[in-house]
Amino acid sequence: MLALQLLCNGLATGCALGVVAVTFSLVYSTTKLFHVAHAGVFTLGGYLAWSLTTRGVPFIVAFAVAVAICAAIGASIQAWLYARLERRHATHLVILIASLGTLAVMQNIIAAIYSPNILQFSLPWASEVVAGGGSIRLTVIQVLIVAASLAAYGGLMWFAHRTILGKQMRAVASNPFLAEITRLRPRRVHVHVMAIASAVVSIPGVLVPVDLGLQPYNGVTPLLTATIAMIAGGVGSITGAFVLAIAIAELQNLSLLLIPGEWSIGITFFIFLIFMLFRPTGLFAAAR
Amino acid sequence: MSEYLSATGLEVSFGGLRALQDCSFTVERGRITCLVGPNGAGKTTIFNVITGFLRPDSGTVSFQGTSLDGMKPQAIVAAGIARTFQNLRLFVDLTALDNVIVALPAQTGEEPLAAIFRPLHVAQAQTKRREEAMRVLDHVGLAARAHDHVRNLSYGEQKLLTVARGLATGAELLLLDEPASGLSAAALDQIMALLRRLQSEGKTLLVVEHNTRVVQQIADEVLFLHQGHLMARGTPEQIISDPALADIYFGGAI
Amino acid sequence: MDFWLSYATLAAIYVLLGLSTNLLVGIAGIFSVSQAAVFGVGAYIVAYLLMNEIMSFLPAMLVASAFCVALNVLITLPALRVSGDYFVVTSFGIQLLATAIFTNWTAGTGGANGLPGIPPADLFGKTLESSGQLVVLCLGAMALGCVAFWLIMRAPFGRLLRAIREDELAVAAAGKNVLRAKVSAAAMAGAFAGSAGGLYATFLSFIDPSSFDLDASILLLTMVVVGGARTLAGSIIGPFLLLALPQILTLIDIPTTIAAAARQLIYGVLLIAFMLFRPQGLAGEKL
Repeated sequence: MLALQLLCNGLATGCALGVVAVTFSLVYSTTKLFHVAHAGVFTLGGYLAWSLTTRGVPFIVAFAVAVAICAAIGASIQAWLYARLERRHATHLVILIASLGTLAVMQNIIAAIYSPNILQFSLPWASEVVAGGGSIRLTVIQVLIVAASLAAYGGLMWFAHRTILGKQMRAVASNPFLAEITRLRPRRVHVHVMAIASAVVSIPGVLVPVDLGLQPYNGVTPLLTATIAMIAGGVGSITGAFVLAIAIAELQNLSLLLIPGEWSIGITFFIFLIFMLFRPTGLFAAAR
Repeated sequence: MSEYLSATGLEVSFGGLRALQDCSFTVERGRITCLVGPNGAGKTTIFNVITGFLRPDSGTVSFQGTSLDGMKPQAIVAAGIARTFQNLRLFVDLTALDNVIVALPAQTGEEPLAAIFRPLHVAQAQTKRREEAMRVLDHVGLAARAHDHVRNLSYGEQKLLTVARGLATGAELLLLDEPASGLSAAALDQIMALLRRLQSEGKTLLVVEHNTRVVQQIADEVLFLHQGHLMARGTPEQIISDPALADIYFGGAI
Repeated sequence: MDFWLSYATLAAIYVLLGLSTNLLVGIAGIFSVSQAAVFGVGAYIVAYLLMNEIMSFLPAMLVASAFCVALNVLITLPALRVSGDYFVVTSFGIQLLATAIFTNWTAGTGGANGLPGIPPADLFGKTLESSGQLVVLCLGAMALGCVAFWLIMRAPFGRLLRAIREDELAVAAAGKNVLRAKVSAAAMAGAFAGSAGGLYATFLSFIDPSSFDLDASILLLTMVVVGGARTLAGSIIGPFLLLALPQILTLIDIPTTIAAAARQLIYGVLLIAFMLFRPQGLAGEKL
């Protein structure tokens, strides 16, 4: 049945989106910065992996290298751009514009080097069907996306609640002033958080294009949807962001039964409007 | 008899921290009331609640018999209450005069259409406003510095400017957050004289202050706040001479 | 000669857009990447009204401007009531949604192929078709826009907006309605952008969605950042400079497939560089 297939596709998309939402939320709740360049990091991961796999590098190695490079890039953006601006007491508007500039640079360097057209991975194992009950088809890559995303979600939850860095991060997030005077070195925490967030977001950044193809400007719409999931789920709630991302993806997919795919952004935006008008703090807002 | 300003049962919590606990107090018209207490006692939180910047979890504030609950900050200013900030929050890139002008109520030309379609009218109104603002600056003793940018004013002059900004709104109740802190002896005298002058003109002042000399010299009544709760009230002599309160204030217990 | 007239006309139109973006971003401090969407709405409305002979040029411009004012108010009002960061999401959403509508609503906007054959502007019965006439029309509109901007900024409204940019909280504590001021700024920005759109449609006589997408919004931001925020001079210098950029680029041999990416790359670099090293732009005040 078509609806069931859409639901399955929605699960894969939703999980990937969930990771984008969770990593974005991580950065936002810690640094209070709306890091739009996150979309660029997401996009970059896929292209790095593609470059390596088309040169014969085994997928798993390419994947690891992409993750590592993305982590480094994310950390650099924080350390050399955002931190520098913050030291000069730049307003959030200034940092936002710088982030947008970074996004534009990243997307367009990719477009210049790799061409603005869609590129495909050539990994035959990815599109093999794993499960198929009747008219439902799940490919290897879809299952991999779901598995990796759930693992990423679990990993980040563990990190936030059980590790020292995670607790420092939450402390910095809840009271930056106190963190500053108790020598928690918020700036260093910020760099670490950006590194981790960028590394983790490159997981769907690599896996999703294996399924759907690469395009330099494909990062913005998922990021937008992810931020809406973050807001609807409640800023500060990792689980909220993840769950809402899946919910939105499912709603988008199911809406395909009624309206053409080009309009699915309308669905997302409509959901955002509802939350903004009736429940701006989201469903699972952190205690405050 | 309804009180001038009264707060009843205010409760404010930030996460796990209870900033105000069942806080109730009254302020009488025409007096200078000082709000004292150790750091973290909730003094600035009270200001934020009264002026509508913070909604209390429970409790009410009423001014001249009308409840202020749920009113937006600009409505509360229009009702006659203005405040200053501990960290000044002046408009640094504007002149002293402009800082005051911004606070003057209801100006034509504050919507863009009037500026475009009635430029002469707006210009006339501007001149009137400028004169009014100069009068306010003169009142606090800053007339000579009207056209200087805020960053070129001394700290004492900046503090006077924050009071001027509050006066410009036309408020009759002024909430002053540490108007005397960090001032030289001369500036201190100047500000205290200003506060007494304002009182003699019929203004009511609620002042957060740490400086006991200032409190003794200007306060008609003192409210001692501790852990978000009104602990004691009385004349300055009563409060300052109470050993138990002094212990709380200086003993480090927060 | 025709080239220079064309450049001047386009620059004049973009100055109006620059004033619009400056009002919103530079003065009210609202981060907006949806200015190109509003520009597009203005263009499509005027195009539609002229092509279907519903109205002549001036009434069409009024309708388009009014619509864009309402649009901007509708966009900013709910988002600003909540918090500044929500507006970022709203702005991105509006821009992407607008692009989707421009590209897919073929009946109204001609879809991805756009609307060709837009009739030229007419003023008091005379049709303005030659490049000389058009440049006068657009420079005239630009002059009107500049005067309006200047009047606004000199008035208490301008001072209020300056104070809001510095410290919203203190302005609210002084008894002013911050939200209404910001929404008024957004409304004015809408009027400027809508009129610019109408002029653009009649000047080029052909419009398509690619002129009104996220990349275009980024260009508008770059104009304000480079020219300088909050000043009239900045709003004029930015567009004139940045519209010259593509011409300068043609001197370098860049393959056409990546020409667009090269331009956008430069805009991105400019945004970063100016934020880091010269936030006040060439002729403006610090953002």
